[in-house]
Amino acid sequence: MTDFAAHHSPVAALVLGWLLPGAGHAYAGRRGKAVLFAVLIIGLLVAGFAMGRGTNILPNEWWVAPQLGAGGPTAALMPLAQYLAIREPIDWASPVREIGTLFTAVAGLLNLLVMMDAYVIVAYPEEKGDRAAHRAHRSAGQENA
Amino acid sequence: MLEALGHFFERLVSLDNPLWFYYPLLAVIAVVYKATKLDRPREIALASLHFFISVTLGILVLGLAFYLVSILF
Repeated sequence: MTDFAAHHSPVAALVLGWLLPGAGHAYAGRRGKAVLFAVLIIGLLVAGFAMGRGTNILPNEWWVAPQLGAGGPTAALMPLAQYLAIREPIDWASPVREIGTLFTAVAGLLNLLVMMDAYVIVAYPEEKGDRAAHRAHRSAGQENA
Repeated sequence: MLEALGHFFERLVSLDNPLWFYYPLLAVIAVVYKATKLDRPREIALASLHFFISVTLGILVLGLAFYLVSILF
């Protein structure tokens, strides 16, 4: 077991990534990717939420299943959505609301992918490192040729 | 037939078409997906662009095919 693997838990990377998109990568030491994933996934979720006028992250709609892939931000927005859904009638026929809901669902599904990537980085650091080294070696060989 | 195709493209590029929202969605999917596969920023950018263009053209061809089927049959 490497020093890195001894001090890092893959499950912790998975849970942190679920609570906050990109946090799993930050835990795994990939800070650049952590920022990239956090900006893109939270940005997509918030954009979709705004397109639905804040009424498309509701616990009684089946869309909430993929939306919960981005657990922390979705859970934070859900009470606000419930409040706004009571306050004003939902325009169910609005195509923009539909696409906004799709945005939020895709954000959740993308976060599942990102969480799994963080898990693999922590669980198999040598393998991930070897792949990067192999690619670097290959591209260096192509440049020399 | 040509008139129908013209209508298809006219509708496709009109500003009130909500399909415009799919471009940022696809861009985010492309970057996140490729960033989980690759490590270098340049590699990620190029692979994401390739993914974005391939999927956009693929969906366009598929949409055109379905549209032609819908007006012909």
